[in-house]
Amino acid sequence: MNTPTIKPFGERGFIAQLGGFSSDVDSGLFANAVARALRDKNGVDDAVAGIDTIAMRFDPAQLDAEQAHAMLLDAASNTPRNTRSVAAKVIDIPVCYGGEYGPDFDALCTQLKLTPEALVKLHSGAPYRVITIGFAPGFAYLGELPEGLSVPRLETPRLHVAAGSVGVAGRYTGVYSLPSPGGWRIIGRTPRALFDGREHHPFIFEPGDEVRFRAVTPSAFAAITRAQP
Amino acid sequence: MIATLHQPGLQTTIQDAGRRGGRHLGLPQSGAADRVSLALANAVLGNPWDAPALECTMTGPALEFEMDIDFAIAGAEMDARLNDEPVGGYRRIGAKPGDRLALGAAKAGARAYIAFAGGVAGCAFFNSVSTYIPAGLGGLHGQALRAGDVLRSRNTDTMAPVDIPDALHPNFGHDWILRATPGPDAEYFNPKTIEDFFSTPFHADRRGDRMGLRLIGAKMPCEDTPPMKSSAMFPGTVQCPPDGAPILLGPDAQTIGGYRRIAQVIDADLPLIDPARRSDLVPAHQRANRKTDKFAAAKADCLIYFRFQPSLTVAQFQPSLKRVGWPPSPHRTTRRAGRLTPHPSRSE
Repeated sequence: MNTPTIKPFGERGFIAQLGGFSSDVDSGLFANAVARALRDKNGVDDAVAGIDTIAMRFDPAQLDAEQAHAMLLDAASNTPRNTRSVAAKVIDIPVCYGGEYGPDFDALCTQLKLTPEALVKLHSGAPYRVITIGFAPGFAYLGELPEGLSVPRLETPRLHVAAGSVGVAGRYTGVYSLPSPGGWRIIGRTPRALFDGREHHPFIFEPGDEVRFRAVTPSAFAAITRAQP
Repeated sequence: MIATLHQPGLQTTIQDAGRRGGRHLGLPQSGAADRVSLALANAVLGNPWDAPALECTMTGPALEFEMDIDFAIAGAEMDARLNDEPVGGYRRIGAKPGDRLALGAAKAGARAYIAFAGGVAGCAFFNSVSTYIPAGLGGLHGQALRAGDVLRSRNTDTMAPVDIPDALHPNFGHDWILRATPGPDAEYFNPKTIEDFFSTPFHADRRGDRMGLRLIGAKMPCEDTPPMKSSAMFPGTVQCPPDGAPILLGPDAQTIGGYRRIAQVIDADLPLIDPARRSDLVPAHQRANRKTDKFAAAKADCLIYFRFQPSLTVAQFQPSLKRVGWPPSPHRTTRRAGRLTPHPSRSE
């Protein structure tokens, strides 16, 4: 099933539900490609890619509902579906796992019956793709997590998660670019600044980027922090 | 320097119209929760309707002026006093250095707006100085204002001030009806649940904030469905977590989330959400509803006119007012809409 199902989302929005993708990485990257194409069009206020959806809100002064619907259907039908192969930048993310930077790390080891070393190796061993950005400013959904690391979200979300925190939930791992409330299990933190305030691209992560985590010690964490402006 | 804050109030932040077009970066819109009141406070000063102003929550601030400047208050009734003398809202008031302005607890409504001629300065990010507290964006320092903070003027050019007719002042005293369309996940709810949603009176849990309000009244259980993958949310989206208590998302709504969306409050009614915190509210199916608070909705629609349709003429604007059924006479529509228009030249 390659034709998306399009439904209204409020009085000036539509959402396309995608189908026929073999993984969340594939559907998420496709959704982002479609959303990017839509954002260039006049009358589109927002085009937001979820994991397997594209939501679009339009300006009723410039587009009527039929035009907006057609625009979404057209973008979803004419965007190449194989977006995984599109070249993207590779981002190195040093992570200090556990301790004060990863408050859920020990509990996760116990729950998954993994030694700390094994958990670090499993999480940092595989390259990930940025599936989409959202929830919180610059928050990157990365996938997909190795099977053995899949855990549900926290029952009660934290009110405050520090910028740079690296979390896991379901089949994803994610990075909080700025402080945020959040329900993902936090296993570490990167000292790398993820927010640089550039006008249209204020965060270093973009959909499609390849992300590689690299374990660092607390002293290396401190050194990297100091070296940044 | 406009003024120094002596007491911050419960949560006083700098807000404008918010960040637009940043949801794909995870940036919430933010901005004034009640855009109508923000616009009215600015309009009486001749500011652009979306000039940054102070948004006061439940209990207002106390501040001392440092310069000669005009200010105006709109929104929740907070017993405003200038040098201990009561001052009314929706009109221009001149302040001198040393004058003290204090707002008390809200008697009706939830948020009041204090606008200053020329607007308040703040840290701009993504074309807005709106404060988004969770990530520390905008405002003076990304957070609610604190005692000792100094407000500075943004020195925005002002236009001819607008008189706000009494009839346009919001009335926060009664129950509210919010109009909504069924959400993109409505099909995952039992039809009876959807019907209940659009007919049950809810009230908002007091712990609500700018991200969202938990609605108390009836549970909206979601059918047993495959888990939803994270998908877009907007201000006005009503999402239903597994416990069935719906959450109505506000101006700081997250950009994507994982709970089923039962409904979407229409844009024109978003400014009503916050005042409604203090009373009951009933979501009303947009198409089914013809007996809403048409007047308030029409005022909100004027804002949509400001924000989304700045190049339209009043004649083109009329259909959207008609859609909300206000007011009965087309002639009055033209006049009112014209008076609220930021560029008088466009409003024949």
